[in-house]
Amino acid sequence: MVLQHEIAIEIGNVPILLRTVDENFRDLLASHYAGFIANPTNPQIEFDVDVAKINEEIPDTDDNDVKVSITDGEWCFRRSDFVARWDPRQRHGRVRQPATPYSVDAFLRIMHTLILAQQGGFLLHAASAVRNGRAFIFSGVSGAGKTTISRLAPPDVRLLTDEISYIRREGEDYVACGTPFSGELERPGTNCVSPIHSVFLLAKGTENRIDPLPASEALRCLLRNILFFAEDTDLVNGVFRSAWHFVQKVSVRRLTFLPDDRVWSMIA
Amino acid sequence: MMVMSATDSTFFTLNEVATAIWQAADGRTPLSEIVTRKVCAEFEIDSETAQHDAEHFVEELSRHGILLVSDHPFEPPALS
Repeated sequence: MVLQHEIAIEIGNVPILLRTVDENFRDLLASHYAGFIANPTNPQIEFDVDVAKINEEIPDTDDNDVKVSITDGEWCFRRSDFVARWDPRQRHGRVRQPATPYSVDAFLRIMHTLILAQQGGFLLHAASAVRNGRAFIFSGVSGAGKTTISRLAPPDVRLLTDEISYIRREGEDYVACGTPFSGELERPGTNCVSPIHSVFLLAKGTENRIDPLPASEALRCLLRNILFFAEDTDLVNGVFRSAWHFVQKVSVRRLTFLPDDRVWSMIA
Repeated sequence: MMVMSATDSTFFTLNEVATAIWQAADGRTPLSEIVTRKVCAEFEIDSETAQHDAEHFVEELSRHGILLVSDHPFEPPALS
């Protein structure tokens, strides 16, 4: 009998259990996802992880594009470094990948985009932070200032992420959850949940100012930054409808800022 | 357009200019030519700023293993 090692990674209150025979890999994940490790006894989803050898070719992964598709109710995710299959009906899947947490990062992000899409939420390429119990989301194209504004956050601000924001629908409202997905700051977010107060679309400029945005422009900018990989018309339409509902419910504004800490005086 | 590093899973959301550079990067066309033909010709930006920003963008992507940068054109893959 081969000894199995388990670890449950909980993001957005969704624990996903990973099971592997490689104890060192389990320990690596425990370190990489510190702050997001849950009790493994009651996972919502379970995955068996087959750890591939370094430089081992993963079957059916011949290019660097992410491919996510569903056949007969079973999802298949592929990238050059991993291939995964997941049957939501069985709440079980299997993934083959090298012993690197970055492959797990990519695989978990895909999982959560699918889970959130069915609940009215989404992952957003954005930083997010909590101040006075309210979450603020900072989105924009690369170079717009997500890392900068995260780095400038004063001590009373809890950073949820500087890279990938987790947005979940609760009734007619939305909450932001911390994620372990880090960007240039190279540190995981705080694992907590807060109601979303505002979204700021970032632009660096010569003054600090906040400008309103019409809903159509807010939606266009938001869609540009939503992570979604699946080739599935119904889910894609669902994500579009979720984004539209979101901009009706949450204030989305343009934040032009100078890269110094005075910008945070405008965010409370 | 979004690009994710297969090396460290870092995400990049590209604006229109960055997308034009990404789509024109064929491994053979020099960056300066891409800037002249695809950036300066289609966007309101002066050539010096465009070249500087393009070099910064390409360096950033190459740092995450998304692009390879070379002084020479890359050879096309051999047909099997």
